[in-house]
Amino acid sequence: MKRILSLGLAACMMAGLTACGSSQTETTAAADQETTTAAQTTVQESSAADGTPVQTEPLLVYLNDFDGVIGDLFKEATGYDVEVVVGNGAETMSRIEAEKSNPQWDVVWIDSMYDVYNLSKDGSLLIGWEPENAAGLTEFSKTLVPDNKCFYPTGTHAAGVLVYRSDMYDETTAPKSIEDLTDERFAGQVGMADPGVAAPAYPLAAEIMYSMGMEQGQEYFSTLFSQGLKVYPKNPQVVQALASGEISVALLQESNAYEMVDSGEPITIVWPEEGAPGSTRVAAINASTDQMEIAQMFVNFLLDPDTQQALVNTGDEGFFEPSVEGVSEKAERDPEATLAVADVEWGAENEADIKAWFADMSIQ
Amino acid sequence: MKLRENIAGSLILAILTILVLLPLLTVLIQVVCPGLSLEELNLGNLNLVLDVFVRPLWRRAFINSASMSLCTTIAGLILAGFLAQIRVKYNFPLAKLLDIVSWILMIMPSFILAQGWVFFASGNGIARSWLHIEGMNNFLFSFPGLVTVMVLCKYPMAYVAIKSALEWYPARLVHAARLNGASPFKAWTSVQLPLCMPAYFSAAMLIFMDTVGDYGMSSTITAVYSFPTLPYTIYSAICSSPVRFDMAGVLSLYLVVMIVIAMILQFYMMGRKRFDYLDSGTEQVVPKKVSRSASALLSAVSGIFSLVALGIPIGSSFIMSFSNSFSIERFAFTLDNYKNVLQPDGALLEGIRNSLSLAAVAAVVGLILGFAVAYTLTYSQFKLKRLIDMLTLVAMAVPGVVLGIGYIFVWNQKWLQPLGLNLYGKPEILILASVASAVPLINRVLVGGMSKVPQELLVASQVQGARLGKRLKTVLLPLLHSSMVSAVLAAFGGSVFNLAITTILYPPNYSTLPVYISDSYNDLNFGYAAAATMVGGAFIIAIMLLLEFILNFGKRSGHADNT
Repeated sequence: MKRILSLGLAACMMAGLTACGSSQTETTAAADQETTTAAQTTVQESSAADGTPVQTEPLLVYLNDFDGVIGDLFKEATGYDVEVVVGNGAETMSRIEAEKSNPQWDVVWIDSMYDVYNLSKDGSLLIGWEPENAAGLTEFSKTLVPDNKCFYPTGTHAAGVLVYRSDMYDETTAPKSIEDLTDERFAGQVGMADPGVAAPAYPLAAEIMYSMGMEQGQEYFSTLFSQGLKVYPKNPQVVQALASGEISVALLQESNAYEMVDSGEPITIVWPEEGAPGSTRVAAINASTDQMEIAQMFVNFLLDPDTQQALVNTGDEGFFEPSVEGVSEKAERDPEATLAVADVEWGAENEADIKAWFADMSIQ
Repeated sequence: MKLRENIAGSLILAILTILVLLPLLTVLIQVVCPGLSLEELNLGNLNLVLDVFVRPLWRRAFINSASMSLCTTIAGLILAGFLAQIRVKYNFPLAKLLDIVSWILMIMPSFILAQGWVFFASGNGIARSWLHIEGMNNFLFSFPGLVTVMVLCKYPMAYVAIKSALEWYPARLVHAARLNGASPFKAWTSVQLPLCMPAYFSAAMLIFMDTVGDYGMSSTITAVYSFPTLPYTIYSAICSSPVRFDMAGVLSLYLVVMIVIAMILQFYMMGRKRFDYLDSGTEQVVPKKVSRSASALLSAVSGIFSLVALGIPIGSSFIMSFSNSFSIERFAFTLDNYKNVLQPDGALLEGIRNSLSLAAVAAVVGLILGFAVAYTLTYSQFKLKRLIDMLTLVAMAVPGVVLGIGYIFVWNQKWLQPLGLNLYGKPEILILASVASAVPLINRVLVGGMSKVPQELLVASQVQGARLGKRLKTVLLPLLHSSMVSAVLAAFGGSVFNLAITTILYPPNYSTLPVYISDSYNDLNFGYAAAATMVGGAFIIAIMLLLEFILNFGKRSGHADNT
């Protein structure tokens, strides 16, 4: 009897949970269709006499960098409070996905452009809105804004510059392009982060496959794998492997590469002439946020040249190409550096397949 | 009596269902019901369960996890058994060191230990650059190397469980065996060893579950030489876009299958035999004095072992904490990391404060729940107690990130808001998750202790009119004192460093010690992360030593018997 009661209790909770998930999904979907109207209503309801929105709770931003400065910068500029949840790209996207029936976040600001674009497909993001400061986007960054305007780029950094140990190679023997890595003299010496785990590593793999074409891209990586390509979970492990001599060549995130040089490691950075694969940090707004106006102010704030200059000046996280005109890059950064980013729709559509292919190949 | 047992058993099952089963089911059910939406129900997706036979990565991950866990369990059990034997039986100067080393290793998260091993053994690490030992990197990034590191990382739980069992000696039974002509070795193999089987099985399960679900080691060492494990593959599934909770669910299911197989094996081998032997013929083992040469040998073995198991990983991190370089080869002494870590307004101290508060509550709640679970498993006739046992093991083996996602599904429901139970985004959810993580270890340690206490002792006091509370207070708790202290300390230490759950669940602007250390590492502040580990670890070990002193104070002075 008690066993039946116990099982019944668990089953009821499960059923309740599933039913709630179902009804909330419906509610969310319905709410998404009326997002703009609802948001406008909310803003109107919470506006002060002078028309500025009154904040009832801090704006909740999910991000993976700049957590130490962005809250204070925004507060100083607008007077509004920001709370941040820091996590790597995967953790942040998992949270967002798991919260789908009852989203907690207002703005997501991470360097996972393709993941964020995928969010727009089920109505999770505010679409069709253009911030005032978007007018200042660079020509390169304008090309990154998707047609549905579900996010705006706030900067792009190299997901993979070529780096090599200068005590192993000189300018004549070192790789000069990404294609050079398949040369047999680099067999067993090349490393990179796992596109299936590290947020910047997928844009890296995607751009290579996009620029070469899917088949040739797969052939390229197959050759690298057959020559002993070492795939590390994240960029910090690539740094350790380079520093310890486990590998002598790598495709490494640019901020990590410059940090290695700065710390005195015998590392030389090569910016490929064809452009280093770039990872774009984008900001997007939750379609069902109840602080729509403040969220929009935040995204607009991120596109302000002064804000981006402040971000560039923050330190190691400031190694990126700003998305708006009128911002000076870090002095250490190569002024001739060029970036290449795979098309957002192509990258988003093929993300699951590329990651699965890469994961299966890496163990063969 | 039976009705009460059933009510208590059902209550415990309900609590574990909420803490473990429900979160896990919310992830598992994504296979057929993505987003928990009935509209998306598609039983055809069950094919995904068979992908382990199709996808090379999954097949390899399953085989790797199973083989690594099995080898670690066997080797870990032998090591823990050997160390526990010499610790309990012999009196030698460095005996206590084995306890200290095991406790520190038990509370240290595997990613920190793994990081220490990488600092030591990698290409230009301490072994090669300073000690001129060649080939350590080839050894570390290989299957034997990985198993060695795993064994040194995971043996402590087994050591504590076995040592606790060996502290009591079935004197009357052993004397009977000896009187019948058995040699000391024969008496040990035919009397003492079989009676300790529950402790050994408990220990084996602890090592197996902890190894099979370990992500820290996977991401630091196994991933580096193309040795994918299930936890790492689960993490990859979660990293997919769109996020594949269904794949994470299927891979977690494989872990559950492994647990079930291990439990069936254990049940088959132990059957329904009785292993309680604590009665008037039982004596507490007093470590024997040995000859000076034997004492020196045992001390040397303990010292060398401690140096390898703890000295290498923690010592390497300690050395790195005094440098800002990325590698030992370019070591340059600095105290800057410690100056930054110890800033009075620093985030580390806040992280430590938050972690300590969480761990304290989790240890107390976990102890109460773990005790109830262990009591039910040992003495109750509740028919679903195997399910209870399984749920505690599931909590240990399923990676924290999966349970964490399940917690979001369960505790982020709109209908919970009016009830004040929408715990997601609040520190309370970390307490629930920490309790779920702490219960398996508490339960295993207590089951090891309880299995030696015959039910007749409790029945006798009941016949004398003692109610449950009185029976626990006057019979069981005094006999379990040592196990209780071990359990609460392990739960406290483990909760402080619980990374996986706190990463996915931590509320806004709320940092914990492991998240802080992990973030520092990801920001390439290796020396700073090492310094934070040293400071945080020292802080926690000091508190644990103090706790151990306080909890054992009365017992030491009163010479009370305990297990």
